[in-house]
Amino acid sequence: AMQWKKAVFLSAMGKEECKTMLDALNKVTACYRHLVIALGSTSDSQNLREELKRTRKKAQDISKEDRAEYERLWVLFSSSMELLEVDMKRSLEIGQDFPLKVPTRHLIQTGMTGSTTTVAARAMSVQNMKYDADSNIDTTDLRDLQCEIGQVSQMMEEMEMKVQVAPWAVEAKQEAGAELKSNMSVGNSSVGVISIFGCCFQVLYI
Amino acid sequence: MCIKVILSHCLKFRKSVVLEMQDPKSGVKSQPQRLVITAIPHAVTGEDIVNWLSERLLVDTEEARSVGSMLAALGYIYPLQQHKRLVIRADASLYRFQTPYFWPTQQWPVEDTDYAIYLAKRNIRKKGILELHEQEQYNHLHKWMNHKWDFIVMQAKEQYRAAKERKKPDRVVFECQERAYWVVHRPPPGTVSAMDFGLERRADPNANQVQGEETGKLAHSSFLIPLSRNFSRCSLFSVVSLVKYSSTYQSHDPFLSRPLPSNPWHTDDATYWTLNSHNVETPTKQRVERWTFSFAELLSDPRGRDDFRLFLKKEFSGENLAFWESCEDLKWGTAATMKEKAEQIYKTFLARGAPRWINIDGKTMEITIKSLKHPHRYVLDAAQTHIYMLMKKDSYGRYLKSPVFKETQKKAIAPEEHNDSQLEQNARTRRPSLSPIVLRQLEAERRAKMAAAAPVDITQVMSKLSRKPQ
Repeated sequence: AMQWKKAVFLSAMGKEECKTMLDALNKVTACYRHLVIALGSTSDSQNLREELKRTRKKAQDISKEDRAEYERLWVLFSSSMELLEVDMKRSLEIGQDFPLKVPTRHLIQTGMTGSTTTVAARAMSVQNMKYDADSNIDTTDLRDLQCEIGQVSQMMEEMEMKVQVAPWAVEAKQEAGAELKSNMSVGNSSVGVISIFGCCFQVLYI
Repeated sequence: MCIKVILSHCLKFRKSVVLEMQDPKSGVKSQPQRLVITAIPHAVTGEDIVNWLSERLLVDTEEARSVGSMLAALGYIYPLQQHKRLVIRADASLYRFQTPYFWPTQQWPVEDTDYAIYLAKRNIRKKGILELHEQEQYNHLHKWMNHKWDFIVMQAKEQYRAAKERKKPDRVVFECQERAYWVVHRPPPGTVSAMDFGLERRADPNANQVQGEETGKLAHSSFLIPLSRNFSRCSLFSVVSLVKYSSTYQSHDPFLSRPLPSNPWHTDDATYWTLNSHNVETPTKQRVERWTFSFAELLSDPRGRDDFRLFLKKEFSGENLAFWESCEDLKWGTAATMKEKAEQIYKTFLARGAPRWINIDGKTMEITIKSLKHPHRYVLDAAQTHIYMLMKKDSYGRYLKSPVFKETQKKAIAPEEHNDSQLEQNARTRRPSLSPIVLRQLEAERRAKMAAAAPVDITQVMSKLSRKPQ
C-alpha cells in the first residue's frame, strides 16, 4: 500500500486541460457554422468572406495546438498507466509471497513501522480511509487483483492499437530542473479539485 | 542465458536466507538505530550478521562475511553508514533489510523511467545540488527521455508529496531504501556492480548436451586429432618462443598488470587513451619500450613510425619507408584508385631516374615492373617484402642506437598512477573528446601536407648538381 503512487492525479489533470482546449475549438466551430449559414444570402458580403477565412484559420491553429497537446497528454496517460500496471503486478507477486492470514507471519524487518493510511486517503481523495472488517486478503483479493491486472493490460493494448501516436516524437514542456520551481506545499491541490478527479480514477480503474 | 539461470537460483537461495534471518527467535538480533530526533528499529550490526550466517551455514567467519557481502551487493541488505560500499564489515556498523519491493529476486526490469523519477525527487530534496555522477545521469536522461519528461516531473512531485504523508521515521527509512536500491542498480563511478550480467548469449554453454554416445565420442575424437597433430609438431623451440613472448609482454598486458595512469574501463578516466593517442608529442615510456621489442611493433604504432621516419630523414633514406607506406596504401585502398596509385608508385619509386628511387635487387625489380602492366592489389608484395626486410635488418638496428631514438626515450613520460582525489578532479573537468570525423579530417590534412612536402632524394639533387656547368 505504501508504494501506491498517485498516477491517477496526472491522468485527471489531463482531463481538465482537455476540457479547456475543447471549449475553444467548440466555440470556433459553432461560430463558423453560423457564418457558413449566412453565405449566399442577403447578409453575404465582402466582410463575411473575410470573417470566414479568419475563423477557419483560427480553427486550424487551435486544432494544430490541440493535436500537439493531445499527443503530450497521451504520453502522460500511457506512462502513468504503464507505471501503475507494473506496480500492480509487483503487488500481486509480493502479496502472494507474504501471506498475512497465517499462524506466524514472516515479514521483513525493514525499519518501517508506521501506518500508511494518510497516503491512501490522499489517493482516494477522502479525509479518512474506511476499512472492511473482514476481507480475504490472501485469497479472493489476490484473485481479484489478478483479474484487474489482466483488464488493465488489455485496455492498454487496445488503446495503443487505436491511438496512432508516436510517443518519442512528443516534445516535453518542462525544462530540466522544472521540479525545483513550483510550490511544494500540499495546499496546492485543493480538496474540491481533487474530488472531481477522484471520479476519473474510478473510470480508469475499471 | 546461463548466467541468468544461475543468478535466479542464487537469488532464490538468498531470499530464503534473508527470510530466515527475520525470525524473531532464531534470526539475527536487531536493535534501534539512533538518529538525531528519532530511533528507527530493525538495525543489525555487521558482526551479528556474520556470526549468524557462520552458525546457520556452518562456514567459517571469512566465508560468512563474503556471503553477507554478496547479500549486500545484490541489494537484500544495505549499510546505514557508507552507503556506497556494499560490503558487510564484521564490526558494530549497522545494516538494515531491504523491503521486498526492491529485491532483485524476481528480476523485474530496472527502468530508466524510474531512475529519472528518483533523480528528479532527489533534485527536489537536495534543492538542485546533485552528486556529479547523478547530475550527469540526470542530464543524459533528460536528453534522451525528453518526450516523457513532463510525466517524470509530475510523477516525481507527486511521489514527493505523497511521501510527506508518512511519519518522519518511515520517511527516513524509505529514503534510505530507495537510495540503496539505486546504488545497486546504477552504481556510482569507481564501484563494481553485482548486477553486471555481461552479454546475453543465445546458446547456453552449461546446458546438458543431449547427444547419443556415438556422436559424443566422434565429436570428442575429432577435436583431439588436430590437437595431437599439433602436439607432435610442437617442438621445444615454439614453446620457448611462447614463454619468451609471454615474459616480454606481461608488463604491457592490461589484464596482467596495471596500465598507467589507470585503466579507463575501471575508473572511467580516459587519460590513458589521451596520453597514448596517435600523434601525441611525447609518448609514454611503456610505449617506447614496445618499439624495441620488434620492428613490426615500431611500424604498427603511428607515433613510432613517425619517429622512425624522422630518423630516416636525417639519414636521407626516407624513400624506403615512403615506398612501404605507399604499398600499404595500395593494398588497403579502394579499387577505383588502384591503377592510379600503382602508376604513381612506379613513377616515384621504381622507374629509372625516379625522384625517390628504391634499391631493390634486379630480379624483384624485373618481376614487379612486368606485373605492373596489370596492376592489382598485391602487385607490389615482393618489392614491399624486400624493402621491409631491408629496413628491419639495417635501418631498425641503427635507429635503436640513434640520437633521435635516445632523445625520444629520454623525453618519454612515465605517468603517475591515479589516486581517488585526482580521479574526482578529472571527472569534474571532463570534456567530450574530438569527434572521429574531425580526427579523420585532421589525419587526411596531415597526410596531404606530408605528401606535398616530400623530401627530394639526395642522390637526385647530387646528380642535378653534377650536371650543372661548373
